[in-house]
Amino acid sequence: MDMSQYRDLFVSESQNHIRAFNDLIVQLESNSADSSIINELFRHAHSLKGMAATMQFDPVALLAHAMEDLLSKVRNEEFTLSPVIVDLLLEGSDALGVMISMIESGDSDLPDGADLAKRLAGFTPGSTPPPVPSPETAPEPVPPIPADTDPTPDRRGQATPGQHQFRQSDSFKSIRVRTEILDRLVNITGELITTRHHLADQAQNCPEARLDEPLGKLSVLLRELRDEVFRARMLPFSFIAERFPRLVRDLARKQGKEINLNIEGKNIELDRGILEEMTEPLVHILRNAVDHGIELPDERLAAGKPLGSEIRISVTRDKDHVNIVVSDDGRGMNPERLITKAVEKGIITRAQAGEMTPEEAFMLVCAPGFSTAETVSDVSGRGVGMDAVRSAVHNLGGKLAIKSESGQGSSFNLKLPISVSIINALLVECGKLIVAFPVNAIDRALELRSNDIKEEEGQIVCAMGTKSFPLKSLNHLLGQATPPGGAACAPAIVTSISGVPVGLLTDRILGQREIFVKPLGNPLARMHAITGGAIMGDGSIVFVLDVSALA
Amino acid sequence: MGTTVMIVDDSFFMRNILRGILNEKGYTVVAEAASGIEAMKYLHDRKPDIIILDIILPDSNGLDLLESTLRTHPLAKVVICSGIGQEPVIQKALAHGAKAFIQKPFTPEKVIEVLTSLEG
Repeated sequence: MDMSQYRDLFVSESQNHIRAFNDLIVQLESNSADSSIINELFRHAHSLKGMAATMQFDPVALLAHAMEDLLSKVRNEEFTLSPVIVDLLLEGSDALGVMISMIESGDSDLPDGADLAKRLAGFTPGSTPPPVPSPETAPEPVPPIPADTDPTPDRRGQATPGQHQFRQSDSFKSIRVRTEILDRLVNITGELITTRHHLADQAQNCPEARLDEPLGKLSVLLRELRDEVFRARMLPFSFIAERFPRLVRDLARKQGKEINLNIEGKNIELDRGILEEMTEPLVHILRNAVDHGIELPDERLAAGKPLGSEIRISVTRDKDHVNIVVSDDGRGMNPERLITKAVEKGIITRAQAGEMTPEEAFMLVCAPGFSTAETVSDVSGRGVGMDAVRSAVHNLGGKLAIKSESGQGSSFNLKLPISVSIINALLVECGKLIVAFPVNAIDRALELRSNDIKEEEGQIVCAMGTKSFPLKSLNHLLGQATPPGGAACAPAIVTSISGVPVGLLTDRILGQREIFVKPLGNPLARMHAITGGAIMGDGSIVFVLDVSALA
Repeated sequence: MGTTVMIVDDSFFMRNILRGILNEKGYTVVAEAASGIEAMKYLHDRKPDIIILDIILPDSNGLDLLESTLRTHPLAKVVICSGIGQEPVIQKALAHGAKAFIQKPFTPEKVIEVLTSLEG
């Protein structure tokens, strides 16, 4: 029998076992009394062994067998679980992960895991523990992500091109579909929506064709289709979160910190594209929290805090948004010090510094160039990659907010749309251009009369309502000619940038429309503040703008 | 319909391989179950001639499952399928009514040999 036909299946199922194994083992460490976790771990190692032996991947089977053996000794209470055993088991699952990745890429020349298997098999509580870097071994480079925890969450879902179009999954009622097919479905749905707009535009020119009713029906069906296609792309947050406990554990252990990672709302679902885009940013935030947020044990003791610290990820759903909040109970950030540093670096002027609220000051950590890797103090380091985090969130049409309380900890709040690609947008005419703003990014649209617009301290502001806010010309920002003055009223859209409202004056607001956003290729993709493009019913192209990058 | 078989194994990979082997030799796989609960569900309405039972399942102890299987469907021929290291459980299973066992890793020939031996 030709076993190679089962290789893809073997790889994907093995990866599931390894992922579950890693997740469980970290749980086990914080809850070593739970024998059901040991049983589960044992079962994963056992299944993996059986599968590998069937496929004749002997090094995998050998290693899994040694891990199973060690686990069975822990289960039979021959030894009690210790960090050394956990390290050994994690080393084992890492090695298995590497082997499985090799098998996946068609490399059959697997490394010989005999040495590690021997160490697993020969473990006794008195034996020499594997070297664990002590907290003193500075400088601490950020460790690479272990090979088994692939940063792209959909990798296991992808079959090698040209091979199985789809795979049957764990029950007859569900099938595995390649992610490209799901992407194509979104694409086709988007094109259908565009075509419907085209049809509706044409229909307006010939009322005798009486297309209103079928067009209405078409709209309803398209919305259903869109929802179903999006549903098919949804994955629970746990899909990317499974590797976080391990990541935090490894980093914390290296630095001699004791950190408990709590994840709430693992089952909340998001579009896989969004999950994929958010994986690295979340890893950044977690790393920063471990490296800079959480204090060393001495410092915690001196501050009268419990030694064991906590990082919490909480995922909640709010209408068509998902909020991901990563918070820590570490030292927090000091807004004054952030402001001082930003002035020193020339990121803000002294005048700007004087007006900053603490919320705005915290957002400074996202300013490009705010922090560099070599400065290590309680206010630095956060900037490493935080600008990348902010732009990743913005590119998805989401928002990032930071809160912090000196001595109490910090929290990073990511507000993300549940799905991408097809969004509700406000279309705005600006000079010769028509541009689109995601409705989610806009607070409101206004028609300003000339007496609503005032000049304060050399700045044009809108003085409507209780609080005035600055106004900017969208035409100017986009390099379009400003219409001749004297118009009785000017439309403006109001958005908030880092929590501060800003009005953008424009020529005309055309209305709201569902658009299908396509990513731009190079060189257009490099254009500042433009996140994508969409084709209108009449074939014209509108650009989708990132409001926060504009102002 | 030839001899009917139900495969009980939590690994989709393993079920696939077994199904491949069985189909090739003219057996009809009437059900596949990934857990004890699923197995009991299918057992009632499909009444398979042979049940290939993995002894380590996420939700049940293999021996308990063997017992309830035989209570529900006494005519079923249960073949235990399990890996190295499970010998004590396999012994017990054989003492409690299992007809044969297949040790993982198996070859297609071994699977067929064991199943053929049941027909005599």
